[in-house]
Amino acid sequence: MRKLFGLAITFALGLVIILALNNTVNFPAFGEVNLSERISGAYLSEDNVEEVGSANLVTSIVIGFRTFDTLGEVTVLFISSLGVAFILGRKKQKRMNLNFKPNFMLRVGSNILLAIILVTSFYIILHGHLSPGGGFPGGAMIASSVLLLYLADDRFRSNIKGFKLLEGFAGSLFVIIGLLGLVFATAFFANYLPTGTIGNFLSAGIIPIIYVLIGLKVGSEIAGIIDNFLTEEERA
Amino acid sequence: MTILSYIFLIIGALFFLLGGLGVFRMPDTFNRIQAGTKATTLGAFSIIVGVLFGSVENHLDWIPKLIIIIVFIVISNPVGSSTIAKATYRSKNIPDNLIQDDLKERGEKQ
Repeated sequence: MRKLFGLAITFALGLVIILALNNTVNFPAFGEVNLSERISGAYLSEDNVEEVGSANLVTSIVIGFRTFDTLGEVTVLFISSLGVAFILGRKKQKRMNLNFKPNFMLRVGSNILLAIILVTSFYIILHGHLSPGGGFPGGAMIASSVLLLYLADDRFRSNIKGFKLLEGFAGSLFVIIGLLGLVFATAFFANYLPTGTIGNFLSAGIIPIIYVLIGLKVGSEIAGIIDNFLTEEERA
Repeated sequence: MTILSYIFLIIGALFFLLGGLGVFRMPDTFNRIQAGTKATTLGAFSIIVGVLFGSVENHLDWIPKLIIIIVFIVISNPVGSSTIAKATYRSKNIPDNLIQDDLKERGEKQ
């Protein structure tokens, strides 16, 4: 009975959505949208791209025009890490035991790979305004290096307090930079630094700074989640 | 320089082909690991060296990135294959016709 009821509600909701969206003014048929009339067309117009000064169009939208939205995304990640810490975080913790003892080669090899992964992730973060990538993938790479060390080294234990400090620091600095936009310019997260020439490493105003902060914040948050998953309460 | 780059690219593609063939044709797990990782390590190595020679003329900024990729592959691929082989040994998935077993002689428990 319950399953039948759920099925009926699902179909009814789907029907309502289809009827509401079908052939209305706000939802034209596929391929018949004039992009220049939409907001997204304005994001791509040449003057606005010049104004933001980021060579990467996605970054110019994500951090240039919609930074407030990005702040929301970072908050979602923060809340999820907070939830994991609420459920799994305990005071006295020891790391999860591995079923096997990683041999010398795996330990040393993963430590060398860690350096390369970190260099690549910071490269991705720093070039977020020039090439594909940016704060979120770079931060995920930083966290993946922590996961690699957890799985490849049976004595590794990450410094969770340092991660928490870094996360709070980066997050608050992100908001402070946005608030400074109210001082030096007109809006929250306004781009008040000189934008420079498009394509240079030092260009696009506050975008690289914000991306570095987002990368550090995302990396330390996901690393904290991984740390919470891979540690367990010490039995007294 | 371009011809040298093409030669390395062809060598790399050949090793990838042989590696892919070896994964299907080799009789047991250890041989397949060897075919899958040794051949592809050299294949990726040659292809990146080929790109490196090709990028000398007009993409000089690619060279450090390519060298980092080479270092990554040269370290990660053998370490991964050795770890998979050790895991295979521990899961007792050993072929019957194994002649020399150094780990057993060293007293390593399976």
